[in-house]
Amino acid sequence: MTKQQYVTIKGTKNGLVLRLDDKCAYSDLLAELRNRVSESELEGLSEIQVDLGNRYCDEDELKEIMKVIHQSQDLHVSKIQSDVISVEECNARILEKQSETFIGIVRSGQVLKAKGDLVIIGDVNPNARVVAGGSIYVLGRLKGIAHAGANGNTEAVIAASWLEATHLMIADKLELMTDELTILSEQPEMECAYLHTNGFITIDRLQELRIIRPNLSSFKGGI
Amino acid sequence: MGEAIVITSGKGGVGKTTTTANLGTALALQGKKVCLVDTDIGLRNLDVILGLENRIIYDLVDVIEGRCRIQQALMKDKRFEEDLFLLPAAQTTDKNAITPEQMKKLVDELKRDYDYVLIDSPAGIEQGYKNAVAGADRAIVVTTPEISAIRDADRIIGMLEKEDIESPKLIINRIKKNLMNDEDAMDVNEITTHLSIDLLGIVKDDEQVISSSNKGEPIVLDPANPASLGYRNIARRILGESVPLMSIEQTKEGFFSKLKSLFSK
Repeated sequence: MTKQQYVTIKGTKNGLVLRLDDKCAYSDLLAELRNRVSESELEGLSEIQVDLGNRYCDEDELKEIMKVIHQSQDLHVSKIQSDVISVEECNARILEKQSETFIGIVRSGQVLKAKGDLVIIGDVNPNARVVAGGSIYVLGRLKGIAHAGANGNTEAVIAASWLEATHLMIADKLELMTDELTILSEQPEMECAYLHTNGFITIDRLQELRIIRPNLSSFKGGI
Repeated sequence: MGEAIVITSGKGGVGKTTTTANLGTALALQGKKVCLVDTDIGLRNLDVILGLENRIIYDLVDVIEGRCRIQQALMKDKRFEEDLFLLPAAQTTDKNAITPEQMKKLVDELKRDYDYVLIDSPAGIEQGYKNAVAGADRAIVVTTPEISAIRDADRIIGMLEKEDIESPKLIINRIKKNLMNDEDAMDVNEITTHLSIDLLGIVKDDEQVISSSNKGEPIVLDPANPASLGYRNIARRILGESVPLMSIEQTKEGFFSKLKSLFSK
């Protein structure tokens, strides 16, 4: 066979990897992928990861590749990875890592949204809503609704000098702060809420945060 | 050039209209030229409280739609020579009859002739509220110690902070001393910290307020009444005087009632 192979299957310690060449034309790649999938030598259902190398594919192209692979009943794609991302995605990721600061009072009916972490210096009054892609830190009284990790980040936390929110949300979990809730304390001073491994939102003293979420600290080195 | 102050609350029934009537009267008593504007189109009340109901010929909508001049629609309160005037709202149409731009133009015109233009806002946060706020330089938020009124006040303060006006001031109306002392209601301090805006004054709850409103005489005209004192103090603060807040001592029980409660135990 003189023709270079655009599609190769490799077995790694993480399972099967379908390596797609990143130098050839997209149409050639797709044509070969179609052939390879139809004459697949694999037996039984296999989980594979698709590695695009240095090729950038947009949503539609990714969908097309998935569709071609799934034509074979035996293959199931567990993950698609690429070594490159667009500037737009990169900026969005930077924003998610950044923290935004709001100074003032978030009042009833107002919604405050941040892509990344959100620091509020002031109160969040009842019926106000604060939403962040990352964590929410309130230097004041949190009396409204807080939603951390709005894009599904389960590691996000909600911390407040005075945590007496009516609703707490982390990723897709919701907790109503009703009287029946045993986690509520009489003096909700310096507390934080996080998603416990049991799947429920838990409230703890702010001092525990460094043990519960050690990765939140971005400070490198010792003191 | 005068100053336009909007009196608003979000929630209905907390005493916006009573406050407007009394502050207007108190300012007129201090010798200022005051014009009250009722923007609660369709549900006008300010004229009733001032006892001017049966003298209305033209109203706010007539002025804005050009059916009459401002001077024709303004009603003089005869108790105050040339100091207190009212521009009544229309009763036959609704709040969508006018726009914020028209309202602003009207208030700007009134500001030329009066020291203070007090705008009585309707309840709610829709068109009527937007009309009322349009021409104002300052805003006063009225609330009562009820939690629902405080929630709505918070909402309205948030909306006022987005407007191009001075940061709003708070009046806590209908303070019942027993309730506050028993800690069944939020006290003045709690309310002010919660809403975190400056407190302009407090007004005690008094049955006389209702009976005098029914007679068409604002309570401020009775110098001995505790509610009247609250309104007079607020008016003086609007004029720039620094008047100490009616202290908690005053809202506490007197010596004799204390003695009485001691024996009744």
